Amino acid sequence: MSLRFHWMMPKGGEVGMKTAQETSRVATTKASSPAALPDMEGWETFARCAEEAGIEGVLLSFSRYEPDTIFVACAVGQATTKLKFIVAYRLGLMQPPTFVQQINTLSGLIAGRVSLNIVAGSSAIEQRGYGDFLDHDERYARAEEFLSVCHAFWANKDEVNFAGKYCRIEKGKIFTPFQAPDRSEPEIYVSGHSEQAQHLAMTQASCYLRLIDTPEKLRPVVKRFRDNGVEVCLRLCVICRPTMDEAVGAVQALLPAEEIEKQERKILSSSDSQTLKDALSAADNVGWKNRNLYAGLVPFYGSSAITLVGTPRDLAQAFLEYKEIGVTQFIIAGWPKLEEMMIFGREVLPLVREAEEDSYAKAQRRKA
Amino acid sequence: MTLKFHWMLPKGNEVALDGRQTPREAARYRIESMQSTSAAVRPDIVGWTHFARHAEAAGIDSVLISFSRYEPDPFVVACALGQAVDKLKFIIAYRSGLMQPTTFVQQMNTVSALVQGRVSFNIVAGSSSEEQRGYGDYLSHDERYARAEEFLAVCNAFWRANGDVDYEGKYYRVEQAKLATPFIGTAPAIYVSGHSEQSEQLAHSQGSCWLRVAESPAKLKPIVARTRERGLGVCLRCCLLCRPTRAEALKAVESLLPEDTHENTTTLKDDSQMYREGHELKSDSYWPEPWLWTGLVPHYGPVWTTMIGTPQELAGAFLEYERIGVSEFILSGWPEVETVDLFGREILPLINRS
Repeated sequence: MSLRFHWMMPKGGEVGMKTAQETSRVATTKASSPAALPDMEGWETFARCAEEAGIEGVLLSFSRYEPDTIFVACAVGQATTKLKFIVAYRLGLMQPPTFVQQINTLSGLIAGRVSLNIVAGSSAIEQRGYGDFLDHDERYARAEEFLSVCHAFWANKDEVNFAGKYCRIEKGKIFTPFQAPDRSEPEIYVSGHSEQAQHLAMTQASCYLRLIDTPEKLRPVVKRFRDNGVEVCLRLCVICRPTMDEAVGAVQALLPAEEIEKQERKILSSSDSQTLKDALSAADNVGWKNRNLYAGLVPFYGSSAITLVGTPRDLAQAFLEYKEIGVTQFIIAGWPKLEEMMIFGREVLPLVREAEEDSYAKAQRRKA
Repeated sequence: MTLKFHWMLPKGNEVALDGRQTPREAARYRIESMQSTSAAVRPDIVGWTHFARHAEAAGIDSVLISFSRYEPDPFVVACALGQAVDKLKFIIAYRSGLMQPTTFVQQMNTVSALVQGRVSFNIVAGSSSEEQRGYGDYLSHDERYARAEEFLAVCNAFWRANGDVDYEGKYYRVEQAKLATPFIGTAPAIYVSGHSEQSEQLAHSQGSCWLRVAESPAKLKPIVARTRERGLGVCLRCCLLCRPTRAEALKAVESLLPEDTHENTTTLKDDSQMYREGHELKSDSYWPEPWLWTGLVPHYGPVWTTMIGTPQELAGAFLEYERIGVSEFILSGWPEVETVDLFGREILPLINRS
């Protein structure tokens, strides 16, 4: 199987931004941020470039600071033909049959190009604004029930009956089916580092999504999931330049003002998410996790800013090492998003595909 | 103020692109759309876009996109169709109790931004207790209205927001809520539908327009006056059947009657005042006005109430409603495309001239 590469969808207004500093999360949470509004022009440009670059899907992030992901996927999906949309959604915001009805409708409108990234929520304050007062562990218990109900609807055998602690459904039926050329239900990515998140991914997901770490650290985790038939997808950033010196120089140029660091640290340290806590401690304790993997940007750009830094060959090599240990997918971001994605499509992806073809040919020869 | 005319969005795959569909075929398609084998369960952007262009040309303001477990989600449909046409507006029917109000507002605001503000909504409390339980909703009729009251109060707080939204009710609790994506426009119009006392109260306290099924002007007059005095609009829902002569119109009506005189598609709608009234209709009251016919209501429910006549007669009827204070209509016909064309060509000019 070839590695599958996805990219983070830029936030509203981000495609037009020239520097990384403008795109920091702290800037996104400001009332004046253009991220609050849909940016069809920027998104369509980005989506077409992603299709050209060989990117399979884009991840649309969910928060109170941004437009609702289901409709962004619907609108951008009308303007594209190949790109898939990995729609992030938090559970606990609507009844599972309603969620299934919306996702199924969306699938019928964009030829099945929709997957889900289920998130339990990382900020208790933000959750309470959505009317959700459960704590971290209970949110996962609810998510387990929620996804069980969704799966029952997608299995679409008969009526759905479910009596759990958080969801109760009687003779549930949603007539609009999930429509895709090759599936009867969406791929489901479950993300998070906590034990509960891993359990949820193992029982309910098609793919476990987590932050990148060194191959040595990830090997046992990845194996456990693959042995259970669940794929593993890594979330990371990339900085790719012709030489390592230039790449490191590009990292240095990303460091924003001190004030941003202070505010981002506050977001990270006050969260009840295991993922966010892990990322901050990696940044503070290690910095460079190995020759190419840098955690030092986390205090400025958030937990997902752990970055592969290097030349096209370094990066292709790194992706293949992750493939070696069983990773199958990546969701990548860069600064600025569009330019870094074009570099990736032009310089890195062909090297990965070449190596994959070589090893496929070798395997065929051995068989013969 | 001029009358506003809206239309029902046809069901998925209802629109015959070649225009070959008899009134009876169109009616049967809608009647049978509640079966899982119906093509109406799938979105139909091609047919909808075709209809939407005709509706725009006919002078229609908005389309109402209905909500049920039998059809695609109206929010998502509005978003997709809004990308394909640029004048038509969308009234999204939604039941409260299916999602948190904060999420509902985020979805509504997002869609408004993606369709340049061309969106409003019709809140429905639900009419079938079985269908509601399938959505995880176990409240009774009256409780559903009490919850809808809270739901809309939270929504309205977001749309009026100066700062964070805090709310503590029996059904909803929201703390320090804020949403960055604003509604494009001031705030969406809120249509509250139903015939019960609770629905009237809800319309008055939280809505901008009360939506109900057409009845004789004499009967509606005091009800409409009460609502208009409160500064709300009144919108009537009905079907339209128009022919050059009355005899032709009556003949077309005949073709819509079911072969099975006991046919009834509303048995599941056990928890609605409006549907209860429909069941109680006696055959000697099928013609409350010479141009208003309820003969299909016992079979298919109150929204099949039909205005019948020549363009002149129907224009007169709309003007009679206008005189008692009705401000908007949501119409439909068999087939939808031909009827909306006819309405725009033959009836609307007569109304505008008066």
